[in-house]
Amino acid sequence: MDYLYGLAQTIGVHTIIGLSAYVVLQTGQVTMAQAAFYAVGAYVSAMLTTLWGLNILIAIPVAALVAMVLAGLAGFPALRFKGLMLVVATMALGEAVREFFFNFDYQIAKGDLKVGPAGAEGFRQIRYFYERGWTTAEVAAFIWMFVIGIMALLWWMDRSRIGAVLRAVGEDELAAQSVGINLTAVKVSAFAIGGAIAGVGGALYAHYTTHVEHTAFGVLMATFAIAYPILGGLSSVFGTLIAVVFIQGLLIQWLPILIGGELRNLLFGLLILLAMNLRPRGLIDPRVARTLRGLFVRSPNA
Amino acid sequence: MVLVQAIIDGILVGTTYALIGIGFTLIFGVMHKLNLAFAAASIAGAFASLVAWQHFKDLPVPLVFLISAAAAGVLGYLIYLTCFRFIPLKSPLATLMATVGMLIFLEEIVTHVSDGKAQNYPGMLPDARWTLGPLDIRVDYILVFAISVAAMLLLLALLYRTRLGIATRAVAQQPVAAQLCGISLDRTNAATFVMSGVLGGLAGAMIGSSAELLSNLLPLQLTVKGLIVTVIGGLGSIPGAIVAGLLVGAVEKGVETWSVLARDLCVMLLIFVFLVAKPAGIFGKLNVRD
Amino acid sequence: MLELKGLSKHFGGVRAVDGLDFAVKKGEIVGLIGPNGSGKSTTVNLICGVFPVTSGTIAFGAHDITKAPPHQCLSLGIARTFQNIRLFNELTVWQNLWVAQNSAKHRKERGFLGRWAGGRGQARRSVERYLEFSALAAKRDELAGNLSFGEQRRLELARALAAEPDLLLLDEPAAGMNSEEVGQLADRIRSLKGQGKTVVLVEHVMELVMGVTERIAVLNFGRKIAEGTPAEIQANQAVREAYLGTGAKI
Repeated sequence: MDYLYGLAQTIGVHTIIGLSAYVVLQTGQVTMAQAAFYAVGAYVSAMLTTLWGLNILIAIPVAALVAMVLAGLAGFPALRFKGLMLVVATMALGEAVREFFFNFDYQIAKGDLKVGPAGAEGFRQIRYFYERGWTTAEVAAFIWMFVIGIMALLWWMDRSRIGAVLRAVGEDELAAQSVGINLTAVKVSAFAIGGAIAGVGGALYAHYTTHVEHTAFGVLMATFAIAYPILGGLSSVFGTLIAVVFIQGLLIQWLPILIGGELRNLLFGLLILLAMNLRPRGLIDPRVARTLRGLFVRSPNA
Repeated sequence: MVLVQAIIDGILVGTTYALIGIGFTLIFGVMHKLNLAFAAASIAGAFASLVAWQHFKDLPVPLVFLISAAAAGVLGYLIYLTCFRFIPLKSPLATLMATVGMLIFLEEIVTHVSDGKAQNYPGMLPDARWTLGPLDIRVDYILVFAISVAAMLLLLALLYRTRLGIATRAVAQQPVAAQLCGISLDRTNAATFVMSGVLGGLAGAMIGSSAELLSNLLPLQLTVKGLIVTVIGGLGSIPGAIVAGLLVGAVEKGVETWSVLARDLCVMLLIFVFLVAKPAGIFGKLNVRD
Repeated sequence: MLELKGLSKHFGGVRAVDGLDFAVKKGEIVGLIGPNGSGKSTTVNLICGVFPVTSGTIAFGAHDITKAPPHQCLSLGIARTFQNIRLFNELTVWQNLWVAQNSAKHRKERGFLGRWAGGRGQARRSVERYLEFSALAAKRDELAGNLSFGEQRRLELARALAAEPDLLLLDEPAAGMNSEEVGQLADRIRSLKGQGKTVVLVEHVMELVMGVTERIAVLNFGRKIAEGTPAEIQANQAVREAYLGTGAKI
């Protein structure tokens, strides 16, 4: 049973990181920096709880805020680039942040143990949940509280005017400006919201794994972040969730047990290839999304 | 003097980065799409040659290089088939994502082949040195430089002197008009992927050979570095990629004399300097779309 | 209301607009015509802040909008349509009109948060009004990309109007239309005058320009070569030469 709860934790955190990229992708910006904000959230929150003994319910918002500010700041220079240049610029930013944590060394003595980020060694002993005796199930429930909260927020955003504005910017920047949308405000906000969400994801990740190191926040994590929403389709937050469940749950956890051996990323890569050839607009593309919406809710203006 | 020596080394080895940068830029120039799997395919080519070298003992180094180039060329064609051929051009995210899938796929294969650690790779004249006054230059670096330059010249000759090359440039500039002139878009695109793949495979083999080691981490490292070279040089510009490759090589080796840890960080900073000061890159035009 | 003074835009060595003086009074429908490449569209783009101005000034009411970015121009009350239709194809017809409500007026109605979140009653009623105006009410939930060409043109006009602008810049709205559609468009533009809008119409289709405008300015090589009522322009020798070449006789 604990195995299942562990899986629920992974799926939850990956959904959050996927959703963080979802917001930014809606404005048409392909970001490879989500892993960096994820890392910031992880390190900041873990330092707050482990080094300074803060409550996790304070540490998570603070970590999210730091990641949000950083992402907002990154959003400004990112405005100068479009498309492929942005991919490369954000990738370089992500790598720079990863390199920073690779070199980041700050420990304090706690009892007879030195704790804190230790460069390449990583940050061990993030024992917040363990010290308080939370069970795996409780931790999973805690994580899913955030997942559901974030999904509800984004679902509401999608249906509100904000969602339409984000998509308008993603589709045609000049036309968006001509109908009075402030590109700078929208793009930087999208980056900031995405950063905050990634920060929450990072914070949760750090606390359930109890040990983070820079390798977890590399290009691969950044590609995972954008892969979920793109595979799931940018028309609905549920697409991202489905993609994560499918990839993390089915492909990475269960399939290897069935067929034996470690083929995880191999299958992941193949799946992306196949999915993009068969469904270039993602699993839930605009047409499917509209049909689904039509099934459950009346159109918002009717 | 140490710094001068390091910068010269950097420029010599930087030609391999230039080759990777040319590969990215060539595909971008023709398709207006980014092939994120390119550098990983280049290293995968080198690993293919590694497997051959381990299997048939005492394979001569030039043959190892050729195997790497050929394997990467084949991979280039496969990438074209799987990531570009059947995906509608109107969905730019789909092709980008497909190449990401390919990148992850190739990276995993490399991890399996390498057993998750760096593997020995045959070097070219590893101990030969050439002393020039106070400078002490490794002969294999000079060989790397010479082979890279020869490859570049060959590419330029191909692009500017042959029918295939002219077709490639025509497609890069006006795809619709080129088709109306009877140029097969499909075949030209495929040829571009094979050409860039061969260059990449050669670069991958030389990167392994000059260190006598083929690291399992190279696919991702080289992807990032190659993209940086491409952006600094200006998307779609071959001369830009060359200059940027040498620049990145020189900066890397230069900083290394000061601090190995700061090396990669400085390369990242270099790209930010360019993105802010000269966002179009050294030779690029700014109005690059999607 | 709108005043261009010595407006110039040079692209490298090309003088797309070259020292243009031009003014529009409130409530006027003004035509801007000229042969291909005479700088009409560039002028529209300069007014809307799409390109930076090389020299000269643009004033709108009491505001100097020479350096204003596009979204600011809209919020001051200048809306536009595009020569090649630029709708948000993945949004529905209704949403296209919904996102366009960004002028200062709307913002005051909605307040800061409401401006992002959507605003209820008033904004929705205004959307409904323009759905009716463009005869697209039946297609409100259709994706804009799935509309026919004529419907897309109508939607784009409605989208510009949904911003409740004082000045409307129409960049070749009749391009690709048949004469029946041009007739309907002419009626729509005339009805705008009744609503107190000011319209600048950039157009090649003379049938439309001569039919609806009160005053016409003619551009050639980025300069104004004539200005007057439609009748005066039709009789003007310089205009004929610009269109037909020197020495042409009719």
